[in-house]
Amino acid sequence: MHLVELSRNVHAGLKIRKDGAAATAAGQHLIPIVVSEFRRAAVQFPIVFAKNPETGRFAPYVLTGLVPEENLFWTGTELDVAYVPLNVRRQPFYVGSTDDGPGVLCIDTDSPCLDEAGPNALVNADGSDSAYLKSVLAVLGELVSGRALTEQFVATLLSLDLLAPLLLDIVLEDGTPLKVQGLYGLDEDKFKQLPASELSGLFSSGRLDLIYAVLLAGGQIFNLIRLKNRRIALGRAWHSDV
Amino acid sequence: MVSPVRSICIVGGGTAGWLTAGIIAARHRSGLQVTLVESETIGIVGVGEGTWPTMRSTLKKMGVSETEFFRQCNTSFKQGAKFSRWTTGEASDFYYHPLVLPEGFPSLDLAPFWNRYSEEHENAPSFSNAVCYQEAVCELGLAPKLITSPEYAGIANYAYHLDAGRFASFIREHCVKNLGVRHVVDDVTRVARTESGDVEYVETSRSGRLTGDLFVDCSGFRAILLGQTLGVPFVSRSDVLFIDRALAVQVPYENEQSNITPHTLSVAQKNGWIWDIGLQNRRGVGYVFSSKHTDTDAALEELRAYIGPGHDNLQPREIKINPGHRETFWKGNVVAVGLSGGFLEPLEASALVLIELSAEMISALMPATRETLDIVARRFNETTRYRWDRIVDFLKLHYILSRRTDSRFWVDNRDPAGIPESLQEQMALWRYRAPGDQDFSSNNEMFPAASYQYVLFGMGFRMDTSLTAPERDPGTAQRAFAQNEALKVKWTRLLPRNRDLIDKIKEHGLQRI
Repeated sequence: MHLVELSRNVHAGLKIRKDGAAATAAGQHLIPIVVSEFRRAAVQFPIVFAKNPETGRFAPYVLTGLVPEENLFWTGTELDVAYVPLNVRRQPFYVGSTDDGPGVLCIDTDSPCLDEAGPNALVNADGSDSAYLKSVLAVLGELVSGRALTEQFVATLLSLDLLAPLLLDIVLEDGTPLKVQGLYGLDEDKFKQLPASELSGLFSSGRLDLIYAVLLAGGQIFNLIRLKNRRIALGRAWHSDV
Repeated sequence: MVSPVRSICIVGGGTAGWLTAGIIAARHRSGLQVTLVESETIGIVGVGEGTWPTMRSTLKKMGVSETEFFRQCNTSFKQGAKFSRWTTGEASDFYYHPLVLPEGFPSLDLAPFWNRYSEEHENAPSFSNAVCYQEAVCELGLAPKLITSPEYAGIANYAYHLDAGRFASFIREHCVKNLGVRHVVDDVTRVARTESGDVEYVETSRSGRLTGDLFVDCSGFRAILLGQTLGVPFVSRSDVLFIDRALAVQVPYENEQSNITPHTLSVAQKNGWIWDIGLQNRRGVGYVFSSKHTDTDAALEELRAYIGPGHDNLQPREIKINPGHRETFWKGNVVAVGLSGGFLEPLEASALVLIELSAEMISALMPATRETLDIVARRFNETTRYRWDRIVDFLKLHYILSRRTDSRFWVDNRDPAGIPESLQEQMALWRYRAPGDQDFSSNNEMFPAASYQYVLFGMGFRMDTSLTAPERDPGTAQRAFAQNEALKVKWTRLLPRNRDLIDKIKEHGLQRI
């Protein structure tokens, strides 16, 4: 990855392949999300919590694979999903900070999205932002404004002691045992025991919806297992053909 | 009539007092009212800066946050000790006593394999390096865990280095705020006794009489309850352990980014040894020596030579050590915890762990009544004496294995007259086989057999394996050695620099899960 500050002059000629963004998620089994995405994400992925390896702080992610660096939704050419997380759609753009301060729009010049033959330009002929760039800026805006709300949500869960290590002990169809480690989920028993006063607080702050989104999304694990089994079966069929 | 023990009065508020208060109050909550009285005018000794890994479970059980402990007590990680110049005295002479057990231990004992290999190969790795990955982690100055590891959980086993003064205040605040311990700041002026000889109350300058069904003497070397009031005699162990003076000093780091050594350094000198403990903000360095073998001025010179130039303004504090302990530790309704019970020397950091173990045992022996207290006392005394004896043995082991001849101190240490019979017996057995769990069969052992192995083989001891039957399955040992090498590669690559992790913990905190 090589991030540079985006300049509408220097980078005016850059062409982007918008659908290349999905390829950046091909090797990710966890994709960070913000709370505003929870309802949309829940229709496709389990929502889990994991620790940032640099800070140890918890953050929510969608789970897209059952082992590190595996994305079961990646078909080889596209992400076969009904909802693409903001952190994928924003590629190859980042919000970074420079000596001038935070909130600087940056581009990853190593990104596979950069393609001379790509259909998406950054600026229009008159120098104004293209519709594509405007859509990316909206995505980045939602990510930036969602950061604080997401941190507050995690802090609430921690203060109520509602996070617990997630024990995924799976046996695949071919008998392979699979233990997924390092993930955390909602402690449903503790959640059910919360006093009414806490629940009403969660309701009025809009966090009850988020908790239910996470709980409901939990069922998506069965889809991941289905995809994993299918991938193994396909792999076997491929090898037996040879 | 039954007289239950409902209230405990702790006299003295150093590390011993507050740890005891916290351990008992966390377990018994409202079942026992804990009061601690401490003087504003009497300071604490406060040089106890090294713990055992037991401190992790002690603090966790008390409900303390490990993150806050790091933020408030200048805490750092300790992954055992590196002993330099203990065996031959040469500059290149060192060995580790790490906290991670040998690979496969205790179901697999790699000692005989390593012993044979090291006899046959001149460049054999050291024992601790062959069987344990922690030496490699320490030599690179790495931390024992990751920022994603939960509080109190480690990748490699670890203990702490801490600022004893800050630690006492930190535990005090937790005890008073969260555990319901009553805190009285006052001077004890008189101790009143009942007809039967128990302590009835302690009289204070301003707070009147403080009563208790049980009194814990945490008054330090003065032992005002168990020693001064109840007259329990002191048993000197100076015939075995010669250290009787300490010169302690605090040495600043070169700069804020200087790494913090993730283990205790123990560097043998002519007439004793120097401890060097890295906290976040400074090093604690001290020379413990035998005043029968050298004098303070000569020791000071050695200490200054160790610290190096540029620190001539540092004024070491001299502390007298009378190595030994009380004849009994619990008499009537008084039990001593901490320095009032005794002190040997700082080697192997046995002071704080004895506080934890004593307080745990008092706590586990409750609830009790005055009628059962004498039974409780007898058990406590048996166990605690056993523990002191095992510590004395283990500390002495470090001295008898030395081959140094550069002073009478080292030569005298090897005189059989000063070696406890129990240690002599162990050494006779270990001539032909490695220390194992069969040598340490009590429930109240202090040092595991693995610790004896690390020190023995680290200091050049070799067994005579001619009587040992050939191994049925040498492959198991080979796999264990290989596994250790793999762990070394893995963890030296993944573990962060010690200072970097501590900085991160202070900034982001560790998660509880």
